[in-house]
Amino acid sequence: MDIVKTGIAGTLESSDLMVTIKESGEDGIHLELKSTVQQQFGEEIKEVALAVLRQYGVKRCKVSIEDKGALDCTVIARVRTAVSRACGNVKYNWEVGR
Amino acid sequence: MDYMNYKERRALMHMKSEKEEVLRFLDGQGIGFEEDVEYTMVLEEGEKVVGTGSLNRNVLKCIAVDGEHRSMGLMNRIVGHLIQEAYQRGETHLFVYTKPSNEVLFTQLGFHKIISLHDEVLLLENSGDGFSDYLKALGGCKVEGERIASIVVNCNPFTKGHRHLIEKAAVENDWLHVFVVWEGKSLFPSDVRHALVEEGTKDIRNVTVHRGKDYIISAATFPSYFLKEGQDAVEIHGKLDLCLFAAFIAPALGITRRYVGEEPYCPVTKKYNEIMKEILPAYGIEVCEIPRLSADGDAISASKVRRLIRRDDYMSLWRIVPETTYRFLLSEEGRKIAATIKESQSRH
Repeated sequence: MDIVKTGIAGTLESSDLMVTIKESGEDGIHLELKSTVQQQFGEEIKEVALAVLRQYGVKRCKVSIEDKGALDCTVIARVRTAVSRACGNVKYNWEVGR
Repeated sequence: MDYMNYKERRALMHMKSEKEEVLRFLDGQGIGFEEDVEYTMVLEEGEKVVGTGSLNRNVLKCIAVDGEHRSMGLMNRIVGHLIQEAYQRGETHLFVYTKPSNEVLFTQLGFHKIISLHDEVLLLENSGDGFSDYLKALGGCKVEGERIASIVVNCNPFTKGHRHLIEKAAVENDWLHVFVVWEGKSLFPSDVRHALVEEGTKDIRNVTVHRGKDYIISAATFPSYFLKEGQDAVEIHGKLDLCLFAAFIAPALGITRRYVGEEPYCPVTKKYNEIMKEILPAYGIEVCEIPRLSADGDAISASKVRRLIRRDDYMSLWRIVPETTYRFLLSEEGRKIAATIKESQSRH
């Protein structure tokens, strides 16, 4: 899927995260993560987010994540929503990844 | 105290009592309210306001949390709420103007520092590469030369006065970069102002017309609410804007001179020009102030154009705007803008 605009999802409250996905001038996925649990789970959060982007077939975008200690399921949900918004997608396919 | 006891909601600012309550709360926190905000939210404990934040287009402002309720992440809720609201309104590139002492607070909320001025003011944006991308794009327009000049104009709309200033700077330098101020508060929309400058200078070989975007005199980011009484808001904002220009924008294009028209009327612009003469030379940028072009013994200005539009005096207009602008004013789109100008009393 192509990213056509900026998509934001999530909040900055504890146990949540805010995901922003933007268009990028360059190929590839550029992911920037800031997390309150960066040291322990930083790499894991990145992997989870990237996996969602792969499922959606996103090839080029800029992603920034502001994490406040969210669980993986929350990360997945927020990234999915942000991607859908950034693609201008209004028909959600909740079965993606099954 | 339980985090969940705090309720957030939109403040009904059209109701006198609610507005007064927000104003009273901000006043107690030593922060002034700005009338240009479009959206205000409050965080309440029971009936009592313990925090608030506002939005003006893409700028978060008038944000405060009561001293007794700090260190509970309430700021996250206020800023998160405002980001959601801004997003709903289609604004995704956001700015915060605040005190430098709040830097850590806002970087934890996903904001990145653009520039700070001593201990007076700090400007942040919600994108790690917004400003650097803007500079990179500008760098692509760099032209080699010994004398590279710049002009920042609003051109609301483009007049023979602007044309005179641009012509003069273009003749005296190898290349000229013209920045059109990018903000939606002017009576002529940004893209119209930009197009009129571009068309009106098409015949000049050594000019590039740029979009100023959010980083050059964007009125949307004019701070004043957190400034202490007695401090001059114009001065502080002017300094910040000019430091940003001198330290980052000018080097990206190799700019060594900035041209500016003499300002006989507007006190804000006059003050801004004065500060320019203090700051830019310190960065090795020469400031060239050019006297205004006159017609019929009267300095040409965009505000005069708007006055003439209000009076429907198109004969006099013809004398002070270039043909390209005149043709636009007569077009359907131009007529529509003329109609809004007649209705409005705005200075800009």
